[in-house]
Amino acid sequence: MITGRFVATLLALGILSGCSSMGVEPWERDILAKEEMQLTTDAIEAATDDHIYFSKEASSGGRGFGGGGCGCN
Amino acid sequence: MDLAVAAAAATDGLSMKNKDRNCIGSALAAATCTLLGTTALQPVQAQEDPGWDFNTSLLYYGEGDDRVQDLSLKTLSRRTFVDDRILSLGLTIDALTGATPNGALPQSFPQTFTKPSGKSTFTTPPGEFPIDDSFRDTRVAISADWEQPLGRLYAMNVGVSASAEFDYLHLGLNAKLSRDFNNRNTTLSGGFAFASDQLDPVGGIPDPLSQMRIVRDDDDDNGNSGRSSNDSKEILDLVLGVTQVMSRNFLMQFNYSYSDSSGYLNDPYKILTSVDPVTGEAVPVPQIPGTEGPSHLNYYEHRPDSRSKHSLYTQGKYYMDGKVLDASYRYMTDDWEIDSHTIDMRLRWPVGDGKYLEPHLRFYTQTAAEFYSISLVNDGQPLPEYASADYRLGDFDAITAGMKFGWKTGGGNDMSIRLEMYSQSGNVSSSQLIGSQADQDTYPDMDAIIFQYSYQFGK
Amino acid sequence: MKPVRPDRGIRVDAGDRCLKGQFSAMASPCEVLVDSDDIAAAEHLTSLVANEAWRIEDKFSRYSPGNIIDRINTARGEGVPIDDETAQLIDFSVTLNELSDGKFDITSGVLRRVWRFDGSSNVPTRDAVIEAMKQVGWHRVDWKSQILTMAPGMEIDLGGIGKEYAVDRCAGLLRNTTDAACLINFGGDLVATGKPTRRDAWKVGIEALNAQKHESDRLVNLVTGGLATSGDARRFLMHDGIRFSHILDPTTGWPVPDAPRSITVAADSCTQAGMLSTLGMLKGAQAEAFLDAQGVQFWSNRGNGATSCGQA
Repeated sequence: MITGRFVATLLALGILSGCSSMGVEPWERDILAKEEMQLTTDAIEAATDDHIYFSKEASSGGRGFGGGGCGCN
Repeated sequence: MDLAVAAAAATDGLSMKNKDRNCIGSALAAATCTLLGTTALQPVQAQEDPGWDFNTSLLYYGEGDDRVQDLSLKTLSRRTFVDDRILSLGLTIDALTGATPNGALPQSFPQTFTKPSGKSTFTTPPGEFPIDDSFRDTRVAISADWEQPLGRLYAMNVGVSASAEFDYLHLGLNAKLSRDFNNRNTTLSGGFAFASDQLDPVGGIPDPLSQMRIVRDDDDDNGNSGRSSNDSKEILDLVLGVTQVMSRNFLMQFNYSYSDSSGYLNDPYKILTSVDPVTGEAVPVPQIPGTEGPSHLNYYEHRPDSRSKHSLYTQGKYYMDGKVLDASYRYMTDDWEIDSHTIDMRLRWPVGDGKYLEPHLRFYTQTAAEFYSISLVNDGQPLPEYASADYRLGDFDAITAGMKFGWKTGGGNDMSIRLEMYSQSGNVSSSQLIGSQADQDTYPDMDAIIFQYSYQFGK
Repeated sequence: MKPVRPDRGIRVDAGDRCLKGQFSAMASPCEVLVDSDDIAAAEHLTSLVANEAWRIEDKFSRYSPGNIIDRINTARGEGVPIDDETAQLIDFSVTLNELSDGKFDITSGVLRRVWRFDGSSNVPTRDAVIEAMKQVGWHRVDWKSQILTMAPGMEIDLGGIGKEYAVDRCAGLLRNTTDAACLINFGGDLVATGKPTRRDAWKVGIEALNAQKHESDRLVNLVTGGLATSGDARRFLMHDGIRFSHILDPTTGWPVPDAPRSITVAADSCTQAGMLSTLGMLKGAQAEAFLDAQGVQFWSNRGNGATSCGQA
């Protein structure tokens, strides 16, 4: 299982270095700047969902940090 | 820029053909002075107005079968200062009612349990999952976050969070640093969060894997009986992430997270039923005359005092023709032997004039913790070191399906409503079932409704 | 005496804690905000500004028969003696021509004969552009001793400098006439002559993106100095999926590739602001880097991400 995790991390980093030549020029960022293309479009909805699933499941986060604990898990 | 000096230098015959970028400004300033016939102009004073952004929402979350219901008010206020420095303040108020299954199994006869306060009992009818009577009725959470660029390529984020409810207090701080590479197409970020939480459960901290206590008259005011009144835990989270622009309409993010919790990780209100090794039924407990107490044999749960989790998360946002697809996958594994997979997908579909529909689908599955067990066996053998029947540590699948509708108000602000169904169903393998448990419900499946109304306004 | 044109009236209304004089000039709505309650004074100041604006418009417009520009453009190769004011503007344009490596060129107006930016896909042929380019180029103009000589068919156009120059000239007039703080705004090119007394600054809105990179208007508190904007999102051609901006490069005859949709600059005078934003636009993809290096405050809108730069 440790090897599996290690390989998965290496794969992710490998994708990263392969990605270093990808991308767009500054004047091609029109679509990426739209509000609906941000990684977190609605901060409150994301925080709500994170909190609901943190309270009801054994996993948490992924995107970043939650805003705080609660007595529910 | 001293215009008088620049003008003098110009008339001294300094070459106007100087291609050095930094001299263009002064050459231009000098030429303008000559054109307008002025020698000195006041330096410009133009300051951008900081903006305020408010995001508020009202949430209703309701589970079936008299379980948890939550009404939550959330606000997030953001103030942007000059040079992209942003202060965010968050406030959440939750009003909770209802209760959650306490880990005991339903039986074909009524069962009586001692309430967490230790001062009285409650009885569960046959065939129902016993629900614990915890008093988490109001929760207030606040957060403050500061974000600013550091130079041209770095950005940093620091924040604090705190929450309080009847029996729980949380304090936390977090920080993150990110750097852009590759013409801002790649962003690397690293962050950590540290939390210190304190539990003050009603009735104090039970001894792990001790029998559920009887009601006692000589308890002190808190219903404590030689128990400690509180305990604490600490959580450290680390996140490393890469955001990568894949193409003009496709963005991806990859995160690796590590989380380490240590301290009191038990749920002080949760128990396990001890069952007969042949019939699989709860074992009755002799009642001491003149006392009230549990009718059957139950033990308080016990989890390890540390837990470390690893998560790999990837998210993509893809724009096609006005629609945006948001899809993410998360894999989590920990040293309690829980593995989980989460797939989350949203599609934002514009339906004309600032309105959109957004269907949402989420699949979740997890394997049980190594010490998860639906019941304990009363066979004279010593109890296991760790055991919990908390349904959230079990093997289950969950699905969320919902729809969101958003629109712009007359004033140009954003409003939205969403309605979702969240459904959990347990997978208890038949090898775990003893005797008559095969005919009973052994996992408290759950269906919940999520309804949220959001309003965003500000500059 | 010239008859008064019907579109050359002025009116004064109450503004937000100021008096607002309005008129039309240089194909733009113009306004003069005066920090005062004295309506008669505001009318006088607006009238001063309007008359100066119309004077400059008539003198340098391409469409006024008989003015200096018309005489230069119809001289058919003969040398034309130039008055002092026009000569100063021409000298200024020569400086800009050098500072921009030839990309700012007042002879480039003839390219409008082949380039019509009407949102259609009528891109001219290479031959048409080459033909038109034979009459473009400041290096083809003989300019000395205040006499300008150029080949027949060539034209000069001071439209790229005129509006900002007018704003600053009018500001100078106001500074010499009154102590009251004023804001002069000719269709988005503006200057503030001082801090208003009833509020902390003049409030100016810029169409750009906010810090979260979302589309919204930004508000600038202007105390003194000028703001000018280059670019116009409505004037473009779309051909084979490529958007051709209306900023033409006089050294090639073709639009500057990868120019931002618009650039707004804040500087000590409107002319400086205007010229910096024009020079920025001409740099195309390097616009932001160029303005960054100048250490000026600017907002660039590429229809995607805006950059705002603090002053050096």
